[in-house]
Amino acid sequence: MKARRSGFGAWALAVFAVVLVLLGLVLAAGGAWLVALGGSLYYLLAGLGLVISGILMLGDRMAGAWLYLLVFVATVIWALWEVGLDGWGLVPRVVGPLVLAIVVLLFMPVLRRRAAIREVSP
Amino acid sequence: MTRRPNFRLGLAGLLFLGVSPFAAAQVPVAPDEEPAPDAALEEEAPPAVPPELEQPADTEEGEAPAAREADGRLDRNTAENWLAYGGNNHATRYSPADQITTDNVEQLEEAWHFRTGDLPPDDDPTMPPAASPIRYGFQNTPLKVGDTLYVCTPSQIVIALDPGSGQEKWRFDPELDREAMGNVTTSTCRGVAYYEAPEPVEECQTRIVYGTLDSRLLAIDAESGTPCASFGDNGAVNLNEGIGETLPGYVSMTSPPTIVRGIAVVGHQVIDGQYRDAPSGVVRGFDAVTGEFVWAWDMCRPGETGMPPEGETYTRGTPNVWTITSSDDELGLVYLPTGNSAGDYFGGDRRDCEEAYSSSMVAVDVTTGEEAWSFQTVYHDIWDYDIGSQATVLDFPTAEGSVQAVLVATKQGDLYVLDAATGDPLTEVEERPVPQGAVEGEWTSEVQPFSVGMPRVAGDEEITERDMWGISPLDQLWCRIQYHRLRYEGMYTPPSHEGTVFNPGFNGGVDWGGVAVDPERNLLIVNNNNLPNIVTLFPRDEADEREDVQGIGDDVPRQGGIYPQYGLPYGASSVPWRTELRVPCTRPPWGYIGAIDLETREFVWREPLGTGRDHGPWGLPSMLPITIGTPNNGGSVVTAGGVTFIAAALDKVIRGFATETGELLWEARLPAGGQAGPMSYVHEGRQYLVIAAGGHNSMETEIGDSVVAYSLPSN
Repeated sequence: MKARRSGFGAWALAVFAVVLVLLGLVLAAGGAWLVALGGSLYYLLAGLGLVISGILMLGDRMAGAWLYLLVFVATVIWALWEVGLDGWGLVPRVVGPLVLAIVVLLFMPVLRRRAAIREVSP
Repeated sequence: MTRRPNFRLGLAGLLFLGVSPFAAAQVPVAPDEEPAPDAALEEEAPPAVPPELEQPADTEEGEAPAAREADGRLDRNTAENWLAYGGNNHATRYSPADQITTDNVEQLEEAWHFRTGDLPPDDDPTMPPAASPIRYGFQNTPLKVGDTLYVCTPSQIVIALDPGSGQEKWRFDPELDREAMGNVTTSTCRGVAYYEAPEPVEECQTRIVYGTLDSRLLAIDAESGTPCASFGDNGAVNLNEGIGETLPGYVSMTSPPTIVRGIAVVGHQVIDGQYRDAPSGVVRGFDAVTGEFVWAWDMCRPGETGMPPEGETYTRGTPNVWTITSSDDELGLVYLPTGNSAGDYFGGDRRDCEEAYSSSMVAVDVTTGEEAWSFQTVYHDIWDYDIGSQATVLDFPTAEGSVQAVLVATKQGDLYVLDAATGDPLTEVEERPVPQGAVEGEWTSEVQPFSVGMPRVAGDEEITERDMWGISPLDQLWCRIQYHRLRYEGMYTPPSHEGTVFNPGFNGGVDWGGVAVDPERNLLIVNNNNLPNIVTLFPRDEADEREDVQGIGDDVPRQGGIYPQYGLPYGASSVPWRTELRVPCTRPPWGYIGAIDLETREFVWREPLGTGRDHGPWGLPSMLPITIGTPNNGGSVVTAGGVTFIAAALDKVIRGFATETGELLWEARLPAGGQAGPMSYVHEGRQYLVIAAGGHNSMETEIGDSVVAYSLPSN
């Protein structure tokens, strides 16, 4: 049984989760094209990670947030591997994902609350 | 400054970042000449250096300002003057002025600010319309001789200013043909030439000589701005004579002449990529006093230096000399940096004579117009790697002692050092294999020259997928996809139908801003770009159908970055490689400034030049003054006080660096883009730094009409 969405936090979470799915789809599709051209695997994997993470969050599952944070940590490691400590090189790789990570962190209390509701609902 | 000042950004970094590299168009270019040395030099061995020139001029207060350069020499400037575009005919961009030093430069403040009033006239209802929109670039480096500063605006109005107050003394408006202004890629005047006749003449003892966008060579009195009636036809020489079929602006001068031994050497730009059957790139010498034709250097008529016979024209479609020339006045040689043949991106039908001289430095005897030597920097150039940079004449240290040399900085990022008298390389040059495989009808040279004996300033690293940039993972992904779909096998990958990455791009490397030399510290100052562009060839029938493919003289205004190449099997487009958000696809820094020790031939320092504060994604200013290293256009000035000044970058800032260490010592906001070389002089005991700040259309910087002077506080 789905928990009924009420309050700003719940709706914002849903909107964010949808955005995450859409971003993930674009990254995964472009990433698949890039892989087919012989390029980096990162975008395909990160895109899939975002899609799954977004779907889990839509289902009020805490695992969605953790998955996104895992993708973010992997992104940072990948970025450092690609460009080292070159600040300008890190910007396009890390700044956007970092912004999303902060949003995910902010949503964690909402998720936790909704996950609890989901568990007690029949 | 640190070498990579980068890591200090947080979230803010997300916002700033964009750079709008040059829009598509190639920066227009035209050649000119400079003031001639005195007549005494002409026929005899070089005289001893005049006593006042033997040591760096003392610029302490109280010293009487030099009046005219009595000896008329233009190959060395004193602290009091700036005699030619590059400071002098050697184009060292060095000022012996030493009042502003590394210790006091931080006190530098605005001394005066002059508005020329010359802004793009398209919105002016009182002006007749031009066929194409008029695009401005205030690329001028003023001259300072005696009591006057000579400024030249984008519509080529010459304005005489008081060097100490910025007060206008007079102005001369050549009333350019607006159709010519619209047809050129950028309406600009890089500079004018000053000349002082060695013998008494009836008028215009001192004069300003310069060429216009509508193919005239003009002489005006340096004292009054009145045309010199005895020069050519009532003050003007028609540069279209002998050219044959042409259109307004097709043959245009945007760079100053070089005047040596009384001869004004005049090149011109021919608009890139229009018709294969284009006006000739001929370079001509005219008597600086009478305007009489003296010689022509027409590369496909070797040994013939006269005008073409009746009914014929100078050889059409040949490489032209659009940029600034320079000279060794003692050798009597003028150095011509050549472009490439008409139809820049396809060379399947070029003649041997064109092949021999394109993208070369050619030394021509200024008295006879005969070639002394030539040195080619690209074989069979199908990348438009014409030499944009003025040759700089300098004393170059070698194992056998100091040699008078010509330094040639190229768009590919090579620095060649050639013997000024013979053209022989003084540092190692190596031919290396380059990528092969061109479109049908085209051929490629198997090897290209590389200046391995000097540091490279661009193009030294092959671009990889990891170098893709953008502002977010999304546009970075798009750039990576493009990287794999475009053709790129390193420098000199031939143009292709799928699109080829040219790295460095059309702005270099080093473009018309040139390099500067500090003879005291034996340092070469170089600023450069590091940004690729993408060139795509499309077949003739497609070119003829596409509405965006328009050329000069067509009914629809031509667009920047599109080259119809009429008369050739392919048209071409050439655009900066950037994302939909107008952010470069390759990582920064996109521009640098650095110093190379001429003894060790190594960089002593090198820093990214410019911040992203005035540019950003979607073309919006990021407001974040964080150094990133932007594309830049325009040279530097090196002063005896140990400070190198430069604007050039995309942010509206002029900066002063310690010449020896690269430390950023001073900066000031400019009222508009600073895509022009600054200059410096002492006037009435006070040193000034002057820059034309009027922006550049294709660099997408703010357009304005300012000339700004800085000096130390007067107390």
